Amino acid sequence: MHLALITVFAVTEEIAKAGKSIGLGVGGGLGAVGAGVGIGIIFGKVIEAITRQPEMRDEITQIQWLGFALTEACFFYGLVAGLLAAFIV
Amino acid sequence: MSAVANPADPALGERGTGTGSGDGPAPSKWSTKRKLLVLLGVYIVGLIVIVALTGAHGTRNEAFKPQNEFKLETWVNLGVFSINKAVMYLVIAATLTCASMIYIARRMQDRPNRVQTAVEMLYQLMRDNIAGGNMSEKMLARWFPFIGTLFLFILFSNLIGYIPLPTSTDRAVDIAGFHLPAFSLYAATANLSIPLVLALVVFVSYTVEGVRAKGPIGYLKGLIPGGVTGAMAGAIFVLELISNFMRLMSLSIRLFANILAGHLIILFMAGALAVILGVAWLAWLTLPLGVLLFAFEVGLVAALQAFIFATLTAIYLGGAVADNH
Repeated sequence: MHLALITVFAVTEEIAKAGKSIGLGVGGGLGAVGAGVGIGIIFGKVIEAITRQPEMRDEITQIQWLGFALTEACFFYGLVAGLLAAFIV
Repeated sequence: MSAVANPADPALGERGTGTGSGDGPAPSKWSTKRKLLVLLGVYIVGLIVIVALTGAHGTRNEAFKPQNEFKLETWVNLGVFSINKAVMYLVIAATLTCASMIYIARRMQDRPNRVQTAVEMLYQLMRDNIAGGNMSEKMLARWFPFIGTLFLFILFSNLIGYIPLPTSTDRAVDIAGFHLPAFSLYAATANLSIPLVLALVVFVSYTVEGVRAKGPIGYLKGLIPGGVTGAMAGAIFVLELISNFMRLMSLSIRLFANILAGHLIILFMAGALAVILGVAWLAWLTLPLGVLLFAFEVGLVAALQAFIFATLTAIYLGGAVADNH
């Protein structure tokens, strides 16, 4: 009886550990997917825009970095949520 | 990184001498391609040597916890105002911001030297691109000092975060007989409290500025985009109000998470991964990546995050007083 109870506790602990690992993996991984697609789109569009209107290069570059940083941050939102799940919750 | 303990040390030493012998005797007529090939050869040979010396498998190290790198040890206990390493970084950044800019402004010359040219370019970037593009002349005159200081302070905070300083007082190292706290990378902005306070200051400033320009009712009405009327306006108003508070979160978490993740990744690539898994050759394998990431963080992310924080502040301030969009 006691042994069975201990086994159950051990198993729940393992499951909790697995859940935390999944949380970190999904948070980091899916966050990276989304941000990667977004950053790709931004730089692709910037190349398009500059080839069309090379004279607007400076203005476009400034907006590009703004967009890059905003998109990149989305990856870190996912990562921070994953880290929270893995280490703190 | 103070985290690099015994298992990784042979790897680091190996690399230091390895690249030295690769570059040292190389005559200057060697082409870039040849140098790169030699470097790659040293890298691969070093990897094989380490695997041969220490074995491919290791035992997991449970003692080292990467999150302890970001733990704050209280140095001087003053209750809520206790001094720890984050406070030290804050003070250094604030002192550097004020001292360097005042020093340069005092000795401005007609024929600028290199430092003055760089600071003038920085000033122009702050005035024309960050602040000027997003607010009117009148607002610019009033708020440019604030935005400029914010930019410089975050920039200095981020940059000194990449200099290893002896701040880990929970561990010690002996260097040439001196008993020093272990060196570690930390930044004031890698702690959520500091970006949050900065974001709060920004939030209060643009709300006050908006209320002063339009009155409390006018400011709240101004949240609704122009052209929306009827029942729709109510729903949009609630959404806009929520998104207004979400700015507080996004502004602070963006800066905090960028710097924290940068530091974590440098920590892992520079040896923590090898220390945790107890595998020496992993440190050798990941070190070039660590160096690359370090350069990326110092060269781009540190300045970009300061730029984005200041630009968004300018956009929020300009948007708060602008007529309905």
